[in-house]
Amino acid sequence: MSSNNDYTTPSLWCRVSSVWYRHARVYGADFLSNAFPPFLEPLIFLAGLGIGFGAYIQNIGTINYILFLASGIIVTSSMYTAAFECTYGTFIRLEFDKVYDGMLGAPLSPNDLILGEILFAGTKGFFFSLAVLIVTWVLGIINTPLSIMAALVGFICGIMFATLSLWITSMVKNINHFNFFFTGLLSPMFLFSGAVFPLDNLPKAMQRIAEAIPLTHVVRMARAFCIPEGLSWYLLIDLLYCAIFILITGFLAVKGIKKRMID
Amino acid sequence: MGESAIQIRNLNKSYGGLIAVDGLNFDIDRAECFGLLGPNGAGKTTTMKIIYGKAEPSSCPDTVINVFGYHPRTDALKIKSFSGIVPQQDNLDTELNVTDNLLIYAKFYGIKQGEARRRIAELLDFMELQDKAKVKIQELSGGMQRRLTIARALLNKPKLLILDEPTTGLDPQVRHLIWNKLRELKESGVTVLITTHYMEEAFQICDRIIIMDEGRKILEGQPQQLLSANLEMYVMEIYRTSGDLLTDTLLSSWPGIRQESYQDTLFVYSNDAEKLSALAEALRISSYHIRQANLEDLFLKVTGRGLNEQQ
Repeated sequence: MSSNNDYTTPSLWCRVSSVWYRHARVYGADFLSNAFPPFLEPLIFLAGLGIGFGAYIQNIGTINYILFLASGIIVTSSMYTAAFECTYGTFIRLEFDKVYDGMLGAPLSPNDLILGEILFAGTKGFFFSLAVLIVTWVLGIINTPLSIMAALVGFICGIMFATLSLWITSMVKNINHFNFFFTGLLSPMFLFSGAVFPLDNLPKAMQRIAEAIPLTHVVRMARAFCIPEGLSWYLLIDLLYCAIFILITGFLAVKGIKKRMID
Repeated sequence: MGESAIQIRNLNKSYGGLIAVDGLNFDIDRAECFGLLGPNGAGKTTTMKIIYGKAEPSSCPDTVINVFGYHPRTDALKIKSFSGIVPQQDNLDTELNVTDNLLIYAKFYGIKQGEARRRIAELLDFMELQDKAKVKIQELSGGMQRRLTIARALLNKPKLLILDEPTTGLDPQVRHLIWNKLRELKESGVTVLITTHYMEEAFQICDRIIIMDEGRKILEGQPQQLLSANLEMYVMEIYRTSGDLLTDTLLSSWPGIRQESYQDTLFVYSNDAEKLSALAEALRISSYHIRQANLEDLFLKVTGRGLNEQQ
């Protein structure tokens, strides 16, 4: 029989990317029903809010409302897809389907699984943002070439909400508790992030809360790439916020989920 | 005794206040099929999970865990790279077909596409699933899914195969097929560690077993030897509802027999089958069954409980 030397442990990159690949293949197995909604959702938003509100509000500051709205919902779609993936998706893999139990029989560590999971959520965030962008390009709402960068912001947004959601998931014992997360945290975040209306005229206290929540910063970055003369060095502060947020929630997520994977 | 594959000394594990494994010791030789036998909750699965790093043992200064020279705390990835793991519950990706399931798992080991495809064809042949290559998991029977999970554990040509109740809930044909395959693997030099609560399974494929109960080792040895050293050859099962002429005192007046009572059944042991049937005649028992004693009886003798009893 073979000696120990015949068996090599795959590199970290190989391990993490194989986890990513597993998720991508399972997701892609139902390509039609997974690929269609990301395009449909922005259409509904733009038609509903855009046409409805748009009749009353022509401009917000110097940009028209449809552009304001379109550039705002690029990353909110990323937030929702990453959050769903890393709450319900992760919980089902962890507790119901026992997918991780199977994967941990291969030379993968809990950290590899968590990193692969986060990367996959980021990728989904990228694609959902790209889908919104494509819709707005086709409709002629957004037409600056630099707007493609907003899809990268969608990737960052996906990572942020993946780490946050995994941390939440690590504490959740009952799948129904995610309702609190979505209704209590993500819905207000969606409304008070500056995605659908500007924050400038909110009371000071609410503005501070808005600045504290993660979505606000990615909305601001994504929009900056989509509107004329939107870029400024202030965006680096938003980027720094994202980096710190990812590091902190990522650390908590790894610590918490690991405990759920190893008996 | 051959070269040692796994060495376990004073292994302990508790979950909160519950002690799952309690001072366990055993050695497994290379190319040996070693069985952990015991009822649910005996600590078999926990022991197995500790060996491949899925569970952490309680820290005791004199605990030794040696798996082909590695310790799971520091080298779990190394151990898993030369092992194949078949968990208790099948966890295949039901959205994908048979080949894709194995291709994805091969990637976890870093096996290249071309080599993986060759290996998958071999393994599907080996587990007699060759005509299922493109079938979706949902369309496979329970037995086929189990065989596929075993095939998955063989992708890396493991030298250690760890199976947690590989045949629980399967029909006899599939069970025999799996036993044959495990024997073949053992012949080719693979070390096999298996948990089961079927005494027949342990008897069929294990070179040596330990019988566990409540986290402790009760008996250790070759299945046949354990029987002959601890038990009479034959047993008569008497179902209590029938006749009811007999009482325990009546039975104990007979020489050369031993009795054990469990649930609604009375077990009467003897080395002489003739004596047992004569006894049944004399007491005019209508509903009885005489058979060879097995590991189940042994378990009953040492613990006073059945192997399949829930704890």
